[in-house]
Order: sequence, then C-alpha cells, then structure tokens
Amino acid sequence: MSTKLSGPRSTRTSGRGPVGSGLPRTVRSHVPITATGLVVKVVLLGLVAGIAIWAAFPLVEAGKWVGLALLAATTAGLFYLYLTPRHIPAKYLLPGTVFLIAFQVFPVLYTASTAFTNFGDGHRGSKDDAIVAIQSSSVQQVPGSTEYTLSVASEGDPVTGPLVFLVTDPATGAVSAGDAGGLRRLDAADVTVAPGGKVTAADGYTVLTFGQASTRSQEITDLVVPTAGGALRSSGLSRAYEGRAIRAYDAGCDCITDRESGRTWTADEKAGSFVAADGERLAQGWKVNVGGENFSRVLTDPNISGPFFGTLLWNFAFATGSTGLTFLLGMAIALALHSPRMRGTNLYRVLLILPYAMPSFAMLLVWRDMFNTDFGLINNLFGLGVDWFGQDWSARATVLLVQLWLGYPYMFLVATGALQAIPRELTEATSVDGASPWQSFRAVTLPLLLVALAPLLIASFAYNFNNINAIWLTTEGGPFPADNPRNGATDLLITYTYRLAFGAQGAEFGTAAAVSIFIFAIVATVSAISFRSTRKQEEVYS
Amino acid sequence: MRIRTAGVVAVLGLALAASGCGGSDDDSSAPATKESAGAAGGKLVIWADDKRTAALKPFAETFGQTNGVTVEVQAVSKDLQTNFVTASQQGSGPDVVVGAHDWIGNLVQNGAIDPVQLAADQKSGFNETAVKAVTFNGQLYGVPYAMENLALIRNTELAPEAPKTIEELVATGKKLKAEKKASEILCLQSGQNGDAYHIYPLYTSAGGYLFGTGANGDYDPKDLGVGKPESIAAFQRIAKLGEKGEGALKRSITPENAIATFTGKKCAYLVSGPWAIADAKKANISYDISPVPGFAGGKEAQPFVGVQAFYVAAKGKNKALAQEFVANYTTKPDLAVALYNAEPRPPALTAALDQVKGSDPDLAKFTEAGKNGQVLPAIPAMAAIWDPFGKAEAAIIGGADPAKTITAAGKTISGQIK
Amino acid sequence: MTTHADAPAVNRNATGRRRHRWLAQVGWRHVVGALAVAFSLFPILFVLSAALNPLGTLSSTALVPTGGVSFENFANLFEDTAFGRWFVNSLLIAGLASLVSIFLSSLAAYAFSRMRFAGRRVGLLTLLLIQMFPQFLAIVAIFLIFTTVTDLWPAIGFNTPWGLFLLYMGGALGVNTWLMKGFFDTLPRELDESATMDGASHAQVFLRIMLPLVAPILAVTALLSFIGTINEFMIANVFLTNTESKTLAVGMFGLVAGERNNNFGMFAAGTLLTAIPTVLVFQLLQRYIVSGLTAGAVKG
Repeated sequence: MSTKLSGPRSTRTSGRGPVGSGLPRTVRSHVPITATGLVVKVVLLGLVAGIAIWAAFPLVEAGKWVGLALLAATTAGLFYLYLTPRHIPAKYLLPGTVFLIAFQVFPVLYTASTAFTNFGDGHRGSKDDAIVAIQSSSVQQVPGSTEYTLSVASEGDPVTGPLVFLVTDPATGAVSAGDAGGLRRLDAADVTVAPGGKVTAADGYTVLTFGQASTRSQEITDLVVPTAGGALRSSGLSRAYEGRAIRAYDAGCDCITDRESGRTWTADEKAGSFVAADGERLAQGWKVNVGGENFSRVLTDPNISGPFFGTLLWNFAFATGSTGLTFLLGMAIALALHSPRMRGTNLYRVLLILPYAMPSFAMLLVWRDMFNTDFGLINNLFGLGVDWFGQDWSARATVLLVQLWLGYPYMFLVATGALQAIPRELTEATSVDGASPWQSFRAVTLPLLLVALAPLLIASFAYNFNNINAIWLTTEGGPFPADNPRNGATDLLITYTYRLAFGAQGAEFGTAAAVSIFIFAIVATVSAISFRSTRKQEEVYS
Repeated sequence: MRIRTAGVVAVLGLALAASGCGGSDDDSSAPATKESAGAAGGKLVIWADDKRTAALKPFAETFGQTNGVTVEVQAVSKDLQTNFVTASQQGSGPDVVVGAHDWIGNLVQNGAIDPVQLAADQKSGFNETAVKAVTFNGQLYGVPYAMENLALIRNTELAPEAPKTIEELVATGKKLKAEKKASEILCLQSGQNGDAYHIYPLYTSAGGYLFGTGANGDYDPKDLGVGKPESIAAFQRIAKLGEKGEGALKRSITPENAIATFTGKKCAYLVSGPWAIADAKKANISYDISPVPGFAGGKEAQPFVGVQAFYVAAKGKNKALAQEFVANYTTKPDLAVALYNAEPRPPALTAALDQVKGSDPDLAKFTEAGKNGQVLPAIPAMAAIWDPFGKAEAAIIGGADPAKTITAAGKTISGQIK
Repeated sequence: MTTHADAPAVNRNATGRRRHRWLAQVGWRHVVGALAVAFSLFPILFVLSAALNPLGTLSSTALVPTGGVSFENFANLFEDTAFGRWFVNSLLIAGLASLVSIFLSSLAAYAFSRMRFAGRRVGLLTLLLIQMFPQFLAIVAIFLIFTTVTDLWPAIGFNTPWGLFLLYMGGALGVNTWLMKGFFDTLPRELDESATMDGASHAQVFLRIMLPLVAPILAVTALLSFIGTINEFMIANVFLTNTESKTLAVGMFGLVAGERNNNFGMFAAGTLLTAIPTVLVFQLLQRYIVSGLTAGAVKG
C-alpha cells in the first residue's frame, strides 16, 4: 500500500545521471532516464512553481518583500536540488526538512529567544501597546455629562465618505453632528428622528446601517469629537458618551500622568513597566530584554534550584521506567504471540492496541479514578484501603503502572513489526544448531530487535522525560510535602516548570523558557551519549 | 547532456503552464478574498467555552440578521483565557470573549480588553454584586450575565432539615452512616491537591481571609491573609473535620466523583453550585438548597460569588460592533433568559431573574445562599493563591499539622506575588 | 507453514501427550494473550459502562453499568453536538497526515540509513532533540506564524484543515524517522548494493527494493501516526475554533472541559466511537504488518 501511494511522487529523483558520492560502495554506472521518471519530475516541479506563484501574489499585494525573497530562494533551491545530479541525500531529506524548519525549528528558536526576556502576562507586547492599553483603559465618562443616542453617518459615499456622528440629546431632542472638528447643532427641520432618539435621515449625510458601519469599525472607534468637558466617543453604534482619558503618556518625561491625582509613573526600561516614585507599578507593562537574568534566577533562586536534583533523579527514573517497562512487556507479548501455530493473533492484536486507540487524556482520568482511596475500583476489587496517590512511593508506582498500560501497545506493535522483519531462516538456523529457544532469542532475535528499536527507545525515553500529561492528569505532581506545595514526589522537571510558569501572578514564559533550556541541555547530553552507543549497532551489516 | 537540457526546458515550460494555472487560480480566488475581507469588516467573532457557544449561537445569529452583519461564535475548549490573550496579542483574536470575572485582572494587565461604557440606567438593571465583580480599578470591564455560588444541597429523604451548623451536619451525617443509609458524611470535593474554591466557605466561617481590602473596597494583594494566625486557627478547625478527625472531609472526594456520589445517594449533603442541579434532577433525587452552614459560634460561611461576563477585546478587528453587541445587546433580558435556559444559573440582570425565578425556585435559594458571599477577587495576585492554598487544604485534611502547612503555603504565595 | 524453531523432529504420541505439547508450545501463548487482553481492556470496560449509563456520570465503582443500560448517550452525541463533522474532519486530517508523513519520514530514513554524508548523525540527533522542547511554550510561536499566514493565505490559515495539516507535517520527520531508520538498518546492505550494480538508480532502489521490504514498519508507522494525529489535542485546540472545523479530540474535550461538566456519559460514548476508525485502520494494515519479510520477497 505504502509503495503504491508513495510511488509516483518519489520518482521525482529517479534516473538522474551518474549516482553521486552518497553511496560509498556503488559502482558509477550510467542509468538511463526513464520516461515516467522524467514526467513525474517535471509535473512535480511544475506544481512547486505553481504553488510558489500562488503564494507570491498575496506577498506582493501586502508588500512583504522579505517574505517574497524567501519564497523565491526556497523555490529556486528546490529547482536546483532536483535538477542537479548531486546532493542525493539532500533530495531525500529536504521535503520533510522544509516543514520541520517552518513549524518546529522556528517555534523552538523563537521560544528559546524569549528566555532572555521578561515575556509573560503583563509583559507581552511592545511599549506602545502598553501605552495604548493604559490610556484606553483610563477613559471615563465625564461626571454628570449627557448620554447621547448615536447614529453613524457619512458625508457622501457610505464606504469612503468622511464619518460623522449624529447625536441626539435625550433630554432636549436636539440633534448635532460631530466630527474631529467638534459638534455642530443641526436644524431640527433637516433631520428625521425615530422614537428613542435615533436619527434615521439627515440632509447632507448618509446614515449608515449597522452592516455598513461595521465595515468601518476602526474609523468609528478612532473618531473622537472634541467637546468642552472632554471628548465625545462612541460606545458601540447606537450610543455616544462624553469621556476623557484620565491617564496620558508624555513623551517628554517618558512617563504616564494621572490627570486627576497628578501621580506620575516613569518608564523603567529595564523592568518594562511604568513605576511611580513609591515603587508602585502599573499593571500594563511591555516586553524587554533582561539578558541572563532568567538563567541566573534558575540557578540562584532556592525555590527553583533547591528541589532540582531530587526531581531530576525521579525524572530519570520515570523516563527509564516508562520506556523500559513498556518495552519489556510489549516485547514479551509480541514474542508470545509470534508463532506460526498461533491462532487468533489478529483478534489479540486488535484488542491489545485498544488502550492506544483511546484518547489518552480520557484514560488518564479514568485511571486516576480507579486508584481513588474510597471509591476506586482497585481498592474495592482487592478490598484494600491504600491511599495510592497519598504516599510518595505508591504514587510513583501508580504513575508508572498507568504509563505501562498506555504505552505497551505501542511497543507491542513496533516489536511485532520488527519480529516480522527478522528473516525466519536466522532463527531456524540457530535451532538446527541445537540452541534452546532462549539461547536463540538471546543470540539472534534480541540483537536484531535492538538494532531496529534502539533508536526508538532513545526517542521514547526523550518523550517520556517531558511527558507532562502523564503526571499532570494523574497526580499533578503530588503528593506534596505538607510544608512545600512547590515540589511533589511525582513531579517531573516539566510539570515543575509548568507550575513555575503558570502558578504565579500570570504566566511567566521567559522563566519557563529558561528552565526548559536547562532541561533541554540535560536531556540532550544524555541522549547524545546514549546515541553514541548505537553507532556500533548501526553497522551490523556493513 | 542534451537530455538534461531538454529536461530543463520541459520543466520550465511546465512550470510556466502550471504558473499560468496558479495565476488563474489566484484570479478566481482574488474576488473570494475580497469578499471575505468585506465580510471580515462586518463580521463579529465571539469566543466562549463549549457550553456557552451552543447557548449563544441562536442569539448571535439573530443579532447578525437584524443588523446585516455576520456573527461567528467559536468555542475554545481548553485554556480559553490564555489562548485569548495570546491570540489577541498576535492579532488573531476574537472581537468579544465570554468568561468568568476573575479573568479581568489578567486580561487588563495584558491590555486584552477595553472598559465597557454602560449608561447609568443600564447599570442599575444589574445585580449590584455582579456589577461590583466586573468593576476593576474603578472601571467596568464586562457585562455580567450570570452569577454562581456554592450552596448546601441535601437529599431531603435522608436529611429533611437544613443544618444550622457544620457540627449539626456532621452529627446527622454520622447517624446516617451508622444506619448504613449513606457511606459518606459530606460530599465536599477536595481531591489529592485540594480545592480552594469549595473549602472557602468553611475557611471564612472559621475566621480566615485571603486578601484584606483597601480603603476603596478593592482587594489589597499586599495584605495576604494566608499564613496569618487567623488562617492557622481556621485550618485547625477544618482539620478536626478531616480524615484523622470526624472524617467529614476526605481527599478521596474529588471534582469527578463528588456530584456522582451525591446523586448515587451515598451522601446526604453536597456542597456545590447550580451546575450540580441538572444531575440531581436527572437522578430523581428529592433535594433542597440552603446556605453552606458555618461552624458553631463561628462567623458566617461565605462562599465565593463568581460572575460570567462578556468582554470587548481591545485588539478586535471590529470593536465598534463588539461594543454595540456587548453594551447594547447583551444587556437585554431576552438573552439572559436564553442563556439561563441553556444553563440554569441565576441571571445577573434583575429583570431576567424576575422572569425566570417563578418557574425555578432553586434560583432564589442559590441567590439566598450567595447573599453574604464574597466576590471572587479579580486581582492577578489571586492566581498565586489557588494551587498552594488547595494543597495546604488537602495536606491538612489528610492529617498534616495546620500551623506548619499553612505558614509554608503563605510563604509560597507571597513569593509569587509581585 | 514452516515448522517452528523448537518443534522436535520426531514424535509418536498419545493424545494426552499432544495436548501437553500443545500447551507447552501454543497454549501458554494464549494464556499470555488473554492476560494481556484483560489488562488492556478492564479500564476500557469502565468507559463502556459509563457510556451505557443513562445518568452519564463516571460511576466509580462498577465495571458493569448499574443504573440500567441505554444508548441515550450515543444518540445525544449525534443530536447535540457536531460529532459527525468532527469524525469526518478527524478521519481526513489524520488519514492524509499519516500518509504524507510516513512518506516524508521514509525518504529521510532511507537517506539516514543508507547514505553517508556530513552532519548525518548530528542531523539525527537534532531531529530527536527538537521533539523535546515543551510544546506548551511553542503555542505562542505558532500563533505568531499562523496569524501572518492567515492574513496572507486564508486558505491555509487558522480554522482550515490544510493549515493544521501543514503544521502536523512539521513533526513528520520526528520520531517516525528514527523508527524507520532502525528498520532500514536491519536490511542487509547487499540487497541495495547488488541492485545498484544491476544499474538501478537510488530512487529505484528506494522504491522497488527498500519500501516493500519495510512494509510492516511502514504500516506500523502509519498506524501510530494516525493514532497520534487523531488524538492530538494541544495544537488542534488553538488552531480550530469553529465548531464545524474541529477534530474529535478537540470537540470531545469540550464535552468534559469547561468548568465542572457533566457530560461524561456522552464523552465516554464518543471515546469508544473514536477508537473505531483506529481499529479499522489497524485491520486494514494488519495484512502488511504480519506479511512481513518472507523469503520470496528478499530477492534483490
């Protein structure tokens, strides 16, 4: 099936001239270009060009020249790569890599870069954003001022004509027209006013319907009609009020001034906040570079670094345990079912992969319930009263058991696939030599399985090292020592980071990214070391 | 060599042909783009959680039809608040968002929502507590539509009388347990990591508080009540109800099973909110609702009062329309009644409450139970409370030393508050 | 059928002896299988019980429904939610994503296994390490990318299956490449070398020789990738907000999420239905998974 599917597309590189240096021991022979190969290649490259041109139009329209250059370069690169006979490995790697870079590498780099900032709740945007937010959230209705009924109108064309607010004073019924120049009274004879005060027609103006008005939403929001007490602003499309911004930014002192109390908050570029003389800061801040501050905080803050090593140790145990146990159980069952005399293996397999087919977050919740002290199935079934999640070691064992349940079907499947791929001649040969099943397993099956699965085991280890759901949906890191709600017995570094990042007064992405980089460094080192040992296995046949 | 050149030429030719296709593709999609841009101008996007999305949809559509605009109600199933802030920041957020009032502090510090200007007569139509809840730093930031608070729901077959104190409740509960009529004294959810929201009435009754209030009546994050002697005293009383004491509070009662245990008639008392009523009705339980009782000789038990509200996104693409929708449409009783029908919580609009309370006696009882409630603090510092406070609660229920535990929790919380 | 490794050459026996031998060779395998199935299924029985429970709560003590059996939850699922749409969306996205991703990763795995080039091992390690960065932090960057994409090309932006598909392709190389590379490594080098000698191009070697030989693992990978995509939640949750465009994982989470929800019965019903396509895909691929490497197929 897979060949059928991938067939036409992968011939894109077929039959190009001499085989390059990619294969070390190949004979340089001239391979004739097959007609299908060529056609497929041409079609695919044409498709690439077509997509590129489709993508280019919006870029041109929006004036995104950097984006356009990037697109052109990528397309040119693709053309070059698939037209040259060289760089064979790249032909195979590139299709996946393009996506990888766009949707994985870029997000990771972007995230890593936030580790050097104070990015987090209250410090998400730019300074300008913060100023706008401060000013607009300080707009207050002028006390005792009139609430007007509003109709949005335009002079001339409803789509392009200049906007005007037609406002009716509910007390007097007087209608005025307002724009950036101020309010002008309109003659009552020139306007038609519906009951409730809304102007439905006015000489010289086109009254906009909601539909028309809503397409000019931004202009309406921006339109401020100056008045004596402040300014007339719209509140939606049918009411206007006289309001004024209590707080304003002054570029001269780089500060925010409160017009009522006279207090000022001066910009602190280091902290990304406006700070008053007495240290009070405004909630709306902005994102600034803080250099290595997040990193040094990770190292020096006893709240973060204190429980780090204990957690790290359990984290290793958890990742090793999850990977090792699922592998052992999965492989054992795969071996047990791997026999030509075995009937009903199909049924077994379908039933065995069910745990993997169910949404894992749901099943984690179900498992948590089954281990409930008073109501859980486990205690009721066995007549126990164990407080599974209440004690350190039972909680750890429980978490591992749940992981085993969730993960072993995966290992079972992979091991089944791997066993099928081992030529039967090999195992038969050993048994002819008189080896016991165990010996033949040790000597032939296991090494071959490991060749196939060792990279996967490393990958599984890495995944489980950061398996936030497994902990968050079962124990949430608990049980916690009574005197320390920050770090629990089953906490992984990642759940611990998560709590740090989101447990405080709003999310702290910067700190979380810094901790993640530390974790990343640790896992990377461990994985790199274990990866070295796979080099030997890789060369099993060569 | 020749073949290769031919190949290149062919490829280029095809590429051109394909690009011709691409070009025409673009032509055909160009008007579509413009059209959608036109619609985007007259389009209102609302984000809510799943339940409210379903309830809002018909009304949003009516609003759209009467006013000639498109309204889309979209559901974000998880982390609505965080995703709203992130999306807003990047410019792909909605125009209106629906959520609990305790989000306000965080939404404001991120500049994600704008104040709403309501006329005095509009404001006076709302329950006062609800208006207070959505007021932050002196500004009104949202239009409330429903309120909720905890109450004591009891199975009247097992416990005909509403208990006046916790002690009375425990005595009745124990009797039922001894008679094998129930297996638990009280269903008050805690779980392994506690539940600050549900224990709060007992905490206040025993004299504890979270934040002091400043001169203007706002919560003051600098005056943290957790870790103070009052909080220790409060948890000493709560500890007596715990697993090592009366056994009325247990960590095995979790958010998942508390209501189910009550509807399964395994406990006579449930501390929960309006959301539990649907289940009780479905299970044919005869129930009654009364305020959460306090400790004998203690203060009144004050549940948190939460308010659900509509907010105008500060970075929405269609703010004028969003303001129109929130300030002038959601303030109408019809919508509040419809939202009540979708999910029976007391409407914040007095006129709407009056309209529905005749047919639903539970509403008045919940309102009564929440009369002395405290508005859930909306200040960002509140985010630092939930987790440590809950864990301290769970530890104390499980038998840990209240003084030591709550002092540590207080320290953790104050360390998180900027 | 070939004789199994440990089958003794000679036997002349009574029925009792044969039964004993059957037990020793096959019977114990069934015992292991049955135990494993029991272990696999009992939490699922729990879900089944909740799905059939008309009260729709998570009954925490019973494996069998006690409050009577009804299919109300299943009916509600289709009446009250857009379950059908979610189902179709999920099948399309997961189906397409798993097919394309196994293709992309098999290409890469072939290069990593059979070719030697500068940066090969570093590349492999990088692939692994990138997967390790916490996803909950990357959400911000994903918003950043797709806000721009949505502005420029709404057809592949937020709320479109194509955008989500592209995003999933970012992870196509991830673990799958590792899995497949391991299998390519187990294939004897002589196979492709002799083919190359015979004048086959690298593409022909890949398509005609390697891919058929790793069919079991392609099938396994396709299944794993299908399951992974159909259950993916974190990204789909922020990506798809239109009720109509949601996938099963997102839509179903909405049933139990929200504050204090009581749709567990419907949710359980949905969970069971979600497993159906997976089982069907597995049935479909089973043939390839077990057909494996037969002696006949090895001819280069």
